[in-house]
Amino acid sequence: MQAVSKQTRSTRGASRRFLSVEQENSLRDRLLARDERALVELIDLATPWLLGVTQSMLSDPHEAEEIVMEAFHIAWKKIEIAPDAEGGLMPWLLRVTRNRAIDRLRAHRRHIVKTKRAETYADYGERVTQPLEPNEAGQPGWHVHDRVQAAIGELPHEQQKAVHLAFFRGLTHSEIAEELGIPLGTVKTRLRLAFGRLRGALGSLKDWLV
Amino acid sequence: MNAHEWYIENHTGYVARSLEQNELALFEEHLPRCENCRKAIQEIERDLSWLPMAVKPVAPRPGFTRQVTVSVLDHDVRPWWRRWVEPLALAAMIGLAIGLGVTSRRSGALSSKLAVATEQLDALSDTLGIMQKASRVLQASIKGDGYEGGMMIFADNASKRWKVIVHGLPTAPAGEAYHFWFICPDGVVKGAEVNVDPTHPAILTLTLPQDFGPVYGASLTMERLKDVGSTPHGRELANLTL
Ligand SMILES: [Zn+2]
Repeated sequence: MQAVSKQTRSTRGASRRFLSVEQENSLRDRLLARDERALVELIDLATPWLLGVTQSMLSDPHEAEEIVMEAFHIAWKKIEIAPDAEGGLMPWLLRVTRNRAIDRLRAHRRHIVKTKRAETYADYGERVTQPLEPNEAGQPGWHVHDRVQAAIGELPHEQQKAVHLAFFRGLTHSEIAEELGIPLGTVKTRLRLAFGRLRGALGSLKDWLV
Repeated sequence: MNAHEWYIENHTGYVARSLEQNELALFEEHLPRCENCRKAIQEIERDLSWLPMAVKPVAPRPGFTRQVTVSVLDHDVRPWWRRWVEPLALAAMIGLAIGLGVTSRRSGALSSKLAVATEQLDALSDTLGIMQKASRVLQASIKGDGYEGGMMIFADNASKRWKVIVHGLPTAPAGEAYHFWFICPDGVVKGAEVNVDPTHPAILTLTLPQDFGPVYGASLTMERLKDVGSTPHGRELANLTL
């Protein structure tokens, strides 16, 4: 089946740098079939992004690696529950990873993490505008990163901050209010507005298409 | 704000997981009862599904991806027979699809989801039935501490019966027995207990199971008598694939 369908896929995907919906669905099918090579492919492709997510939340790089490993264990054991909607595998894996990282974060005493977080937060503005290293732009999925960064960049600065702390640092509303020294209601409003805009900007991004 | 408006206001907070613990508990209690909220949350999750990729990728340290692969596969706790029944079933389906000239239009239907592949397995049964017209002789050696024996299978496809010969093995330890299993698409089907006598080969005539799809192969295991059930639990001594 896959050999047959690859023929049609290769023509459609010829101009794409990496992981079209069809390729991703094929990967999911092969994972369902317990194809260990598919697992290796998935690990190679997704690890840099998942490590990015976990390292942004957890200050300990070993812990960040542990979470990524756990996510792949889940992916291999429970691939059947990954959404079979088009292009659903990578978002599912990202969500599993992020949720595990948040669970880990919340299991810790937060004050230690918070101290480190305050240090790294200062770097955030720079990270958004950092020039790309040539090899980074070749990373599969980089165009998605670009699109998402651009969408965040369109937000007013105070909304960017709130999204950053909520989504990429795993803080709760009250923690964000404390961190930024603003009322809880303001945090909620900023986040609601920000996520509303991001949905508009990213909702059409269904794929890793270049 | 009425009670339900509070949930609506906090949909994104729920998706982002930025709610407080008590708020989260309220949501989890509410969601099973409210289809509107469930749908809304699914939509938000879908729209924001790529948001985590705003974070720059991090190059893994050398050896990490290999470590992950080994760890994941080492903890694969499926029974040994499932680890190769499933790829075999997939391989057979792929072969069948190509053999039948299935077009790419059908590729979706021929996915490897074995649980829902009843139709494909029926077709597979026919194909392998044809293959089985050719008689086969299969052989595996079984080596252990102080012995070297083996298992041979003479597959008589016309009568759909196998002659199985097990030879050169020591008597089963107390409380254990040798068991022969057929490997079928839906799993392993019990064949028979094999009474091994070290001085004479054990010869069995077994009718292929009819209700489990085509037989792909066979396995010999050592089972504890108290554990013997419809699937093997014991140590595998040999397996043969058609
Ligand atoms: Zn509701």
